[in-house]
Amino acid sequence: MTSALLTIQNLTVRFGGLVALDDVSLDIAPRSIQAVIGPNGAGKSTLINVATGIYGATSGRVDYDGARIDGRAPHAISRLGIARTFQNTELFGEMSALENVMIGADRHMCGSYLSSAMHGPAYWRTEQAIRAEARRLLELVGLGNDTDVEAAALPFGKQRRLEIARALATRPRLLLLDEPAAGLRSAEIDELNSILLDLRANLGLTILVIDHVMALVMAISDHITVLNFGRKIAEGSPQEVRSSPEVIKAYLGEKAAHASHS
Amino acid sequence: MTVRLLFGAVVLVIFFAAPHFLAEFQLFQVCLIAATALVVLGIVVVTGIAGQISLAQAAFVGLGGYGPAILAARYGVPVWAGIMITAVVVGAVGYALGQLTLRVSGHYLALATMAFTAIVQLAFIHSDAVTGGAVGMQMPTLEISGKTFASGGTLYYVVLPVVGVLFLAVHNLIHSPVGRAFAAIRQSETAAAAMGIDVLAHKSAAFAASGFLGAIGGGLLGLLSTYLDPSQFGITQAVYYLAVAVVGGMQSPLGAIVGSAVFVLVPEFLQAFQTYLGLVFALLLLVFIVLRPNGLVSLASDLLRIVGGKQQRGAA
Ligand SMILES: Nc1ncnc2c1ncn2[C@@H]1O[C@H](COP(=O)(O)OP(=O)(O)O)[C@@H](O)[C@H]1O
Ligand SMILES: [Mg+2]
Repeated sequence: MTSALLTIQNLTVRFGGLVALDDVSLDIAPRSIQAVIGPNGAGKSTLINVATGIYGATSGRVDYDGARIDGRAPHAISRLGIARTFQNTELFGEMSALENVMIGADRHMCGSYLSSAMHGPAYWRTEQAIRAEARRLLELVGLGNDTDVEAAALPFGKQRRLEIARALATRPRLLLLDEPAAGLRSAEIDELNSILLDLRANLGLTILVIDHVMALVMAISDHITVLNFGRKIAEGSPQEVRSSPEVIKAYLGEKAAHASHS
Repeated sequence: MTVRLLFGAVVLVIFFAAPHFLAEFQLFQVCLIAATALVVLGIVVVTGIAGQISLAQAAFVGLGGYGPAILAARYGVPVWAGIMITAVVVGAVGYALGQLTLRVSGHYLALATMAFTAIVQLAFIHSDAVTGGAVGMQMPTLEISGKTFASGGTLYYVVLPVVGVLFLAVHNLIHSPVGRAFAAIRQSETAAAAMGIDVLAHKSAAFAASGFLGAIGGGLLGLLSTYLDPSQFGITQAVYYLAVAVVGGMQSPLGAIVGSAVFVLVPEFLQAFQTYLGLVFALLLLVFIVLRPNGLVSLASDLLRIVGGKQQRGAA
């Protein structure tokens, strides 16, 4: 067995009396595309928020590439190579699409404060490199014609793709996408699927996709984990998960579960 | 590149020509505008760009004046060296103040920085032995290699270059990864952190910059007024600097210059209304917050867009 890139062990997260995640364990193999699905409030976003340092774990732990990361600062986790998108998009709204992506790339190329204050030749070289990188990533997600548009002015579907480009600019190994398909039309979902498959093939990325319906993830996931009320109720290949009575029950209610048995 | 060189040449010509056309008092006012603009530039960085409301600027200005005055009076440090040493120390104080943002933000940050200004002012007033207490103290005259700079006409050649260089440096920083990180933090701290930006370190750096700029500005203002009066470094003055930034435009260094020009020159035109000056400024502040939150600078860019739009239509 190859060792996992991200390991979540017995993770429990409580908000006061509310148990958002209850003893959840999960392994993400390198270069895999995995999905976490579940109804609203199942704890999916909480899972990503713990893995990216926004929330702490009440108990249990998260390890990335052999080191424990839960409880570390979000920027430190980003620098380890974990990038994410947000369920309700968190773009830098007043900046252009290009600038949004440049911010992700800055850390890899920026020079010293002194060269930034002087704007010497070295500064212009790196600035050009950052710009070129950002433009390339925007083209990759199909936003090549929107580079100068203010992020807040983009339609929702494009904002989601901009978030993916911005996340990629940090040069991650692991990409966590929180409901990237929500609000997209089915043609857009197909586009997104092919982008994700390309990313794995070309950059060797490992990808965790969250969704509350199965539409997106069925087609591209190697492995699916199903959460309901903070607990893991099923996991396996898309086929296994689709036929699991627990899952049908969670999604369609008791009646459908009985119907599928009879 | 040629555009930059041309712009630089024009600026130099104006700089050397101005003293031949302006009276001594007018040169003094130009210096006053420049020094005030430098103070307000600190607010542009920390509040306008990085989004951290600060009412600490008056304290930074006060420290920037008292520092070199005390260093000169007690230890015989030349004033120019005193101003530089003090600015570095006040920058460090700003950095420490920025660490507060780990615990407080928004309105509470405004209150915390206001408390800082109040405390520093109290320290000026109650350290009689060092600062002269409520009476204040004399700002020593600037001397550089035997030459004294005491009038508007002579200080002009010191104040303008210093302010010019610092404005250029800040302008460059704003248009670099550092400035982009500040702006990112203003727009979404969560996303900025997810991009690998150390939010706390950058907020502290922004406060450090505002402290440094405020202190240099304070030193220059001290040289111009020749006297340090502790009543000039209180909360009212902190609000005044914030108002200058709001009226000029928070988001760009140019706004600091425009705002400072308005606030230095308007009182000249309104001599008759001296008693109501506070009221005039308060109204100005209100009007701008409600109608033009991006300040006078945005008025200029809107006008340019309208004119540009007309031209395009004319061409079509
Ligand atoms: N910061 C928070 N404070 C309190 N409760 C929270 C917080 N974040 C999430 N929750 C709660 O935890 C549960 C799981 O939320 P979430 O992870 O967002 O679910 P999902 O993403 O699967 O829809 C929900 O009941 C939600 O209200
Ligand atoms: Mg969610």
